[in-house]
Amino acid sequence: MIVSIDVGGTFTDCLVLDGDGAVRAFKAPTTPRSPAEGVMQVLQKAARTQGQSLDEFIGGIELLIHGTTLATNALVERRGATVGMLTTKGFRDILALRRGFKNVGGRSMYDVFLPPYRPLVPRRHRMPVTERMTSQGQVAVPLDEGEVRQAAETLRAEGATSVAVCFLHSYANGSDETRAAEILREAFPQAYVVTSHEILPVWGEFERFSTTVASAFVGPLVSTYLDDLRSRLDARGLKGRLLLVQADGHVQSVGEVARKAVYLVGSGPAAAPTAGTFIGDLGGHRDLISIDMGGTSFDVCLARNGQVETTTEMWVGEERLAIKMRDIHTVGAGGGSIAWVDSLGLLRVGPQSAGAEPGPACYGRGGEHPTVTDAALVLGYIPADYFLGGEITLDIGLAREALGRLGSRLGMDAAAAAQAVFQAVNGFMASQITEISTRRGYDVRDFALVAGGGAGPVHAGFLAELLGIRTVIVPETAALYSALGMLLMDIGRDYARTLISPAAALDIGKVNGVCEAMEGEALAAFRAVGIPTADVRLVRSADMRYAKQFHEIEVELPPRPLEAADIPTVLEEFHRQHEARYTFAMKFRAVDFITFRLHASASRRAELRLGARPNAPGRRETVVEKRRRRAFFGGGMQDVSVYDGPALPQGHPLKGPAIIEEETTTVIVPPGFAVEVDDAHNYILAFGG
Amino acid sequence: MPSRTIDPITLSTVWHAMQSYCREMKHVITRTAQSILIAHLGDISVGIWDADGRTIAVPTGLPSQFLGGKFTIQYIVEQFRDRIHPGDVFLCNDPYHGYGNHLPDWAFIRPIFHEGRLCFFTLARAHQYDTGGAYPGSYFPNAYDIIAEGLNIPPVKFLDQGRDNEDLQRLIYNNVRWPEAVRVDNLGMIAATTICERRLQGLLAKYGFDVVKGCIEEMLERTERFVRNQISQIPDGVYSAEAGCDDDGTVLDEPVWVRLDMTVAGDTLTLDFSRSDAQRKGFVNSTHLAVYSQAVASVFLFLDSAIANYHNEGSMAPITVINPTGRVTNANWPCTVGAAPITVGSQVMESVLMAMSQAFPKRAIAPWARHYRHYIFGPDPRTGDRYVQSMFEPDGGAGAVWGYDGFEGAASITTLGEVARANVEEMEVRVPWWMLRYEFAGDSPGAGQWRGACGVHWAMRNDGGEATMSTGNADAEVVVPKGVAGGSDCPPNMCWIVRGDQRTVARVHRYYDLKPGDVIIKQSGGGAGVGDPTERDPEAVREDVLDAIVTHQAAREIYKVALDPKTLEIDRQETRRLRGRSS
Repeated sequence: MIVSIDVGGTFTDCLVLDGDGAVRAFKAPTTPRSPAEGVMQVLQKAARTQGQSLDEFIGGIELLIHGTTLATNALVERRGATVGMLTTKGFRDILALRRGFKNVGGRSMYDVFLPPYRPLVPRRHRMPVTERMTSQGQVAVPLDEGEVRQAAETLRAEGATSVAVCFLHSYANGSDETRAAEILREAFPQAYVVTSHEILPVWGEFERFSTTVASAFVGPLVSTYLDDLRSRLDARGLKGRLLLVQADGHVQSVGEVARKAVYLVGSGPAAAPTAGTFIGDLGGHRDLISIDMGGTSFDVCLARNGQVETTTEMWVGEERLAIKMRDIHTVGAGGGSIAWVDSLGLLRVGPQSAGAEPGPACYGRGGEHPTVTDAALVLGYIPADYFLGGEITLDIGLAREALGRLGSRLGMDAAAAAQAVFQAVNGFMASQITEISTRRGYDVRDFALVAGGGAGPVHAGFLAELLGIRTVIVPETAALYSALGMLLMDIGRDYARTLISPAAALDIGKVNGVCEAMEGEALAAFRAVGIPTADVRLVRSADMRYAKQFHEIEVELPPRPLEAADIPTVLEEFHRQHEARYTFAMKFRAVDFITFRLHASASRRAELRLGARPNAPGRRETVVEKRRRRAFFGGGMQDVSVYDGPALPQGHPLKGPAIIEEETTTVIVPPGFAVEVDDAHNYILAFGG
Repeated sequence: MPSRTIDPITLSTVWHAMQSYCREMKHVITRTAQSILIAHLGDISVGIWDADGRTIAVPTGLPSQFLGGKFTIQYIVEQFRDRIHPGDVFLCNDPYHGYGNHLPDWAFIRPIFHEGRLCFFTLARAHQYDTGGAYPGSYFPNAYDIIAEGLNIPPVKFLDQGRDNEDLQRLIYNNVRWPEAVRVDNLGMIAATTICERRLQGLLAKYGFDVVKGCIEEMLERTERFVRNQISQIPDGVYSAEAGCDDDGTVLDEPVWVRLDMTVAGDTLTLDFSRSDAQRKGFVNSTHLAVYSQAVASVFLFLDSAIANYHNEGSMAPITVINPTGRVTNANWPCTVGAAPITVGSQVMESVLMAMSQAFPKRAIAPWARHYRHYIFGPDPRTGDRYVQSMFEPDGGAGAVWGYDGFEGAASITTLGEVARANVEEMEVRVPWWMLRYEFAGDSPGAGQWRGACGVHWAMRNDGGEATMSTGNADAEVVVPKGVAGGSDCPPNMCWIVRGDQRTVARVHRYYDLKPGDVIIKQSGGGAGVGDPTERDPEAVREDVLDAIVTHQAAREIYKVALDPKTLEIDRQETRRLRGRSS
């Protein structure tokens, strides 16, 4: 039995994958004060359904995969440790200067009435220490150990609980950072200590320091939580492995994550695209767009040839994180997003959300603003009596009133306003999909769309129509999309080392040395969780750029020690990728290598039996209509068939327009699409089918 | 009426699509650039104009360059008329024949056709690594005339109906230093115009010209209405301000003044620069395109930022800029203009901030620290190549605004935060200089109820060969930006060259020869303050003392806050006494 648990802001989701390949879903409220409590509650719920005691259930878990928004929320809401920082003398304010970035997070240059950025470490806790390295890793000024001891004393007196050691050029030689950390641990043993060359040994001090400080900020919280969770699970007799979801789309052992807590930022949503690639792969779709639309946000992510795209250029809240993270583009568009008319008289939807409280107007909890969910209800897409399996009864009258108020500002009635809101949010989401596909030179029509989140399957068919996408895949557990991804993730991590060199003068021996060191580190981490070297897949790559450029492109290297004869091939691939991205290559120009990377992963496909499962109980032999409802299709309200999802037979295509009700979501099949349940219980919408 | 025929969804889609095309253009240029000015310093502008040169979309760009981009387009339309064809790409950098800021800002302009009709223009303008002239780096004082400042390129066809104009290109690249590097950046800029063309043609194919045109008219009308409404909330009146720079680089130690008379009348705003100093011998003269762009951008700071991305010709219609020729704000050919975008560009923007802050005190915005860059060029012994170094690291941060302290780190008001400072680790690899110090300087912010951002203490050592430093368009060692609404001015900038045990002052707008081992030290003032410093929250003053941003003495003397010397707790009673208030 494999279990995944996704602790979100409101709900803790749990999926249980049995030996026979059946997946069962459970939800419990998140317990923010002690998130491990909520985890145990959802496990209790699952155990009860199995007719087992909690100890029996936990004892039977072979593998528990866990994602949490704990680190993300701590960072965004700035609820972390009191962090101290040791930094190279003369360079105390790298963090505060923030390379001058003011217009981040969608802010315009004309936004000047802003609170100035306050770094996670106030200046008084940024302690300058005498030491200096060169870019080649030579000691220019030796470390003053007395100053390190003095700084440790000051930080202890100031109440710091965590310390980040951030010295210039430590990516080239981390010995000063290592020594300073040793002294700190000795003089101040209670502190959580991290060094920048261990967290992220790459060139560029602001990005490295910022990432390291973020790690120090969330580290104590993450460790405390993991200790708590571990001991509760151990007490209940967990024998299986516990793995955590990281931002780069892999799972990793508790020990590794506790030391590099920043890798847990983005943990929950990072899992979702894995569900997309896994399910897409079952149907032979290797180029995918994964969307996850919940109550407040819309996450979109691209996968090419089965690989989810990653980035090192993320901002999380006000903090710059340069670790490799899944390139998930998040915007404020969800079921709860509020529709409004801006000062230019344009209809806009989001990013403000009505959230769970008061929620959309139709929840009847005092929400007055019209939301996307209100529009979907008025248009007949979602059921008033079967929302969240009937947990909430929706009030269509309140939805109409709210939309009517909006419509009066646009010169339209409530029904027309509902259409406008629904179209506007679809148009906005479609443009966000274009942003990560067309804008990167990919033709969106070559991709299949995998839709998750409670609201995703309501909109996905319409998005596909707008974008010319021909296939939409909706997993049966769409509403627990991230938890589903967690079940399916590979174990692994990304490693990086900077080694700056012109291609023409590349020291191949040195490159191979650096790559071998990373491989050694990776394989040791795998052995520690019981995975033999033979099962580990290693992919080497390099960040390259034309001489004097400022931005790099990552190019894959051969999966073995590099040879001089490989260089022309690697360069050719770099030119090709530059051209694909930017419409031109510059073969006349010299090329530099900047950073070498290693991607180490161990596939879990073999142990997963999730897939074809033809004989599901509860499914009928033939298609039976559940009921009929008036809904908006093809320019007007019409009478359409509504089906009960879990009862639909596999392999019987239905033509749109049609509505399929699942307990936690509704699948809308627009005209022109046909839908069928495949043998893995996914809904496959095919255009022209 | 277009508003009756265009549905709100199409309107919104077209509007936002054009904004994202512009952002995509900028992305391509910065990602592929090899010049720090383009890749990190954001010295770029892009946008979309219609066939008549009206501004349609300019959501991103450097203030000095882009709001006046329309003048260049209009000039090309006038000059070429029926000789504009699909596949043409024009190049222009001449401030006097085709409009521009100064010579290093090269603009590539592409007309965009749909079904045989000229529908749009797009423009990508960016500061080049080199543009010829007497010295590298293009910020050199004391040139004889604009011909001595570099290549003067009026609008010419760089690409003629899709074909490279090879003779022209050879001529140009034969007259710049680092021709290959300049070519790299030019390729990125041209690629950006190609992408914009593809996207706009896709949009036109989808909706048709009439619908797109209808959307545009509606967009311009709505934006204009909004901006007029905002201006009408500013009390009517005439508000005057002036801002000066230390000198013009040729006639030394004689300040140069930009003077503004701003008239608010109903829903219109007039910015009149007629009283500014006459055009100068030195290189601080500006051009109409730069002054127009910077003045209008400064006004936009005071408007509701909800429409920040939506500005277009409609936003500019209620704003008139009176800028007669022969002034330092609009010089005649062949005056030199090298420093113009920053000096007197900063002064143009500051004068608008000061005038608007008088009119609108609850939205007061103080001037930012003046730019304090230099250019250094010399040989790099590690590679044998010549290098040129330019950056924003020594600059202080933003000025305060009503309600908030200045944004730390944001460099030069002329960029409005669009530039990124370089990493120390990057600079040490790129140029043969060793960084000794780069951090906040104590007591460097302009004081106020809301203080400016900090200035910077910065130092580096020459590990290369003999080199030359131009202190270029740096400024404010003598004439400093003024605080507003009772806030303090920016403290002055200072620079020294240390050779052995000798320390000499280096001044702005000059040249210095440098030897190996020389150390350059700069200390910049921070942004100016807003409001009376003695109104500042004592707790905020205490925080600054704890952070060694404000000294104990300054807390007492300037902010009138008394702290216990041991515990650094606020002495409330003494503070009330210092502030002259009874309990």
